[in-house]
Parts: sequence; structure tokens; C-alpha cells
Amino acid sequence: MIRIENLHKRFGDVRAVDGVTFTAPDGAVTGLLGPNGAGKTTTLRMLYTLMRPDEGRILVDEVDAVTDPQGARLRLGVLPDQSGLYPRLTAREHIEYFGELQGITGADLRNRVDHLLKMLDMTSIADRRTAGYSHGERTKTALARAIVHNPKNVLLDEPTNGLDVMSTRAVREIIRRLKSEGHTVLFSSHVMQEVSALCDTIVVIARGKIVASGSPDDLRAQTGHQNLEDAFVALSGVDVVPS
Amino acid sequence: MNPTSVAQVLVVFRTELKNWGRDRRSLISVLVGSLFGPLIIAFMFNTMANRQRQVEDVKIPVVGAEHAPALVDWLRQQPGIEIVAGPDDPQEAVRSKREDVVVVIPNDFAEKFTASKPAPVRFVSDSSSQTARPRLQRIRGLFQRYNSEIASLRLIGRGISPVVASPLQLEDVEVSSAQQRAAQILSFIPLFIMMAAFTGAMSISTDSTAGERERGSLEALLINPAPRRAIAAGKWLAGTATSMLSVIITGALLYAIFEYIPLQDLGLRFRLGGPQLMGVLGAVLPLCPFIVAIQMYLATFAKSFKEAQSYLSLLMMVQMVPGFLATMYPLSSKAWMYFVPWVGQQVLLTDVLGGKAPSVVFFIATAALNIAIAAIAVQGTTALLQREKIIFGR
Repeated sequence: MIRIENLHKRFGDVRAVDGVTFTAPDGAVTGLLGPNGAGKTTTLRMLYTLMRPDEGRILVDEVDAVTDPQGARLRLGVLPDQSGLYPRLTAREHIEYFGELQGITGADLRNRVDHLLKMLDMTSIADRRTAGYSHGERTKTALARAIVHNPKNVLLDEPTNGLDVMSTRAVREIIRRLKSEGHTVLFSSHVMQEVSALCDTIVVIARGKIVASGSPDDLRAQTGHQNLEDAFVALSGVDVVPS
Repeated sequence: MNPTSVAQVLVVFRTELKNWGRDRRSLISVLVGSLFGPLIIAFMFNTMANRQRQVEDVKIPVVGAEHAPALVDWLRQQPGIEIVAGPDDPQEAVRSKREDVVVVIPNDFAEKFTASKPAPVRFVSDSSSQTARPRLQRIRGLFQRYNSEIASLRLIGRGISPVVASPLQLEDVEVSSAQQRAAQILSFIPLFIMMAAFTGAMSISTDSTAGERERGSLEALLINPAPRRAIAAGKWLAGTATSMLSVIITGALLYAIFEYIPLQDLGLRFRLGGPQLMGVLGAVLPLCPFIVAIQMYLATFAKSFKEAQSYLSLLMMVQMVPGFLATMYPLSSKAWMYFVPWVGQQVLLTDVLGGKAPSVVFFIATAALNIAIAAIAVQGTTALLQREKIIFGR
């Protein structure tokens, strides 16, 4: 479970995140929805402890991520905004590297890596260097190394951005599977369909503030728009849409 | 550091080395970096030995040999001397560089010689030519020896001891230009070895810091629960390993080269044997962790390989200053010098190669100081990896 309370982050005069509060419960998929520059990535970066909030509290399974970042990181699996790979290492080696850094070794590590490769349908390319990978294959490699330690909480920053249909399906499949296994999944997106297809709860963020949250049906009711996309546009205040 | 962190250090260390070993460019740069010095030294010594041999085995073109058959016979008997017929126009031959030195014996030589008058001998040469000068010296020396031998015989013939005619006893202490040049080449050895330490470290220092930023892989790496210190330490050790490898290759090559170069032919009493090689490695290997730590700290500020490389080329110049100064102004080792990184190694190497082994205390003190500074720099890199500007800035 992830709880965020009154989170603030300022860059110079810009209030990138301005009082964000929400909860992502266990066994559910929570979508952080917002237009580009709304504060999604900054919120996630504070959550996965590479940025310090100016103010506010972050709890990962009751571990305070601000005072005990290492403890929080132990409970997190993250596909960050920037998930570059090492071009001279293979997908298998990427997953092993992060597994070993998590303290997993030997047969246990091999089993996990094989399992992940099979689940993401990457067995045939697993021992090729990642230099020649497609965007989808890269994302899947980054995703696999992020969850090799079977973390309780999984954060995905725009995981399907730029992926083709097949890779998008594979990622969605993983998200559903993680949810059914009781994980907390929090992912960000600026694509309405993406969020509505997967999420139990949607948190809409705009200009650093939460403007609405609830189930897709709640959001429709709140805004009076039957179409979720219209609801999103109305909530984020990007444009005025006649209803 | 607890056992988990140590394991994490090793994981980073191993992965960085694996990644490095697969990069053909970094392998080539280590190879070139460690071959460069030894090959240059081998080449320079070889050229010099050849030139020296040329001076000793001299072909003397003589014009008018028929006017002084006894003199020419005497010359023929000297070791390494061959007498050939001179060109028709000696001055033109020398001017057009076909000959370095031509000896001309004029028509009146025999007449004056038998009359015990100074008999003329002319040396035609171009003193501005590099190769002609040592050769002229050698030929002139031969004629002077003949001159004094005949003079002695004539004095004895007149009942006078030749000693009377030698009020001075002249002795040459040979500090030939060849020797000076050889010594100068030797003074480049420390420079080359330290350069190998530097270039050997460069690819991991840049790839594991600025490279991670450029690729966007740093963020994912830092989300691991491994402490930043373990990550920085693993990368540092990997760079140290490649740097040391490069130094060892250079040392071994130099050792092999000095086995084959006949330095005594050049009049040098220099040896690079087993003990000297150990001394060289003992002086330079502790420099490797220092260089890597400084390189990594600087490269972590850079957003890209290119930026990192330009920082490091500046650092390389700093490193080369003491070495260059030492080749021009021989350093007299003072105690404080051992405690300045780079200068300390330069002084230690000069001592070791000069045949006066410095006390072990200096080796240990220099090493300890370098490693201490390295540890501080690694701590600095660790601190940089906490900064949001470094992790996300691009």
C-alpha cells in the first residue's frame, strides 16, 4: 500500500507538485492521470525516493520514504521515466544484475529470471545484447528487471508510452497479473483509454494538484460527461468542452 | 559496510567489468595506452643504436690514397674502418649529401712527409649535418693517433723521448650526445607508465558515470536498495582493475624491451630487471585507485561521454606536468615530494630507475596517501549521486 499526504515540490518558482494526497491500496491498480507537465513524474520520483519532497509524507507499507528511503526502496519495484539499458549486456544479464543487487542469488535468481522472460515472451531474445532491441523489447526488459525481486508495490511511469499493440498488451497483462497476486500497482499515463481499461481508481492530476479521484464511473458522475475523455479534459482544465 | 553491501559492491564491480570487456573501443584504448610508451622507447633506442653502429663502422672515401700508401695501410688495419676510393669532386659530393666526410690527400703529401715537414690532409665535410659530425670526429681521431705515432717515432729516431713532446696528458671523459639522449629517453619512462594508468581507467570512469546519465540508466540503478556508496565503490574498483591491468602490461613490455635492447652498446649502465620492475609496479599501482577516483568524481558532473572526456583530458594534462618537468629539470627528491600525488610517483620512479631504491617507508607512505585521497573522492562521488541535479539533470 502506498499513502501520499500533502506532497509539495517546488523547482524555482514553479510548484511542480502542490499538495498531492492519495492512497493506492493493495490488490488494486491506481492510475495517475494527467496531461504532460502535470506533476505525475515528479510525484513518482519523490515516491521512489530519488527526489526529496519539500513538504509532505510518503508511506510505503508504513515505511516512511522520506526518513528511510532505503527501506522504502526495498518494498518498491519501479519502471522509471528514464529506463535506459546497457547496450552491451543481454536482457537476461540486466535482470540478473538487478536481482543480484536485491540480494537474490543462485537457483532462486535463475528461476525468477526464466519465469519473467517467459511471462514477457522474451525467451528467444534473452541472450542477445540489448543494443539491437526494439522499443517494446527495451521496455519489457526494464520492466522485468524492475520486478525481479517480486516487490509488494510496483510503480510504472508511463509504461505503455510509444509501444506497439502487442507490447502494450503484454504490459497490460503483467499489470493485471500483479493486481491478481495482491500487489499495489500505481502507474501514470496521459492516455485516458489506458487508464480506464486497467484502473480500479483514477487519480487525476493537473498543475500539481489532484483535481478528482475515484472509479471511472465516479468520474463520469462528477463531471457530468458520459465520455471519459471529455471528463478528463474537463477535469484537467486544459480546454473547455461543451457538454 | 555490512555483508550485503559488500556483496552489492562485488555485483557492481563484476557487471562493470563485464560491460567493459565487451566494448572493443575500450579494449583498444587500453591496449594502445599501454603499448604506446614501450613502443616509442623501443623505437628511439633502436634508431640510436643503429646510428651509433654507423659511426663505429666507418667507410672512409679517400681521394689521392696513392700519395700516402703507408698511412692508408695503417688506416685499413684499424677495426671497423674500410677505405674506398673518393669521388672526383669531393666538395660537390659532400654538398649534395652523397658523402658525409671525404679525406683528401694532396699531391705534395709524400714529398713533405719524407722531408719531415707537416704533410697536408684535408677533411671535406658539412658540419651542419647531424650524421657527419660524429663521423668526422671519429676520422679526425684516427688521423690524430697516426700523427702522434709518427711524431713519437721521429723523436725516438733523433734520440729524444716522446714523453718530452707531451707536456699535457689529455684524457677524454666521454659524455657523448648519444648517452645524453639515451638518458633523456629513459626519463620518459615514468611519464609513459603513469599515462598507462590514466588511459586504462578512462573508459570505465566515463562509461559508469556520465555514460549512465547519458543512457538514462542511472535512475533505474539508483532505485535499487543498494546504498549509493556500494554502487560508487563497485564502479571505482572496476576502474582500478583496468587501470592496474594497463600498468602491468606496460611494465611487462618495458621489461621485455630492455631484455633485448643492448643498452651497454650505447654506453648506458641502466637496467630494468626484476627488482626494478617490482619497484615500478610498487610505485605506480597505488596511483591507480587515486586516478580512477578523481576521474570518476569529475566525470559524474558530466552529462555525456563527450563532456566527461573533455574534463578528463584536462586532468591528463595536470598529471603530465610533473613528468614533463622532470624530463627537463631533473628533480632532486625532497621528502615532501613523496606526498604529492603524481609528483610522488615521479620521484619514486626516478629513484627506482636510477638504481637507488628508495626506502620501503616512502612506498608505503605514498600509497597510503593516494588511497586515502581516493577514498575521499569516492565519498564525493557518492554524495554527487544523491543530488537531484545529477540524477535527473540533462
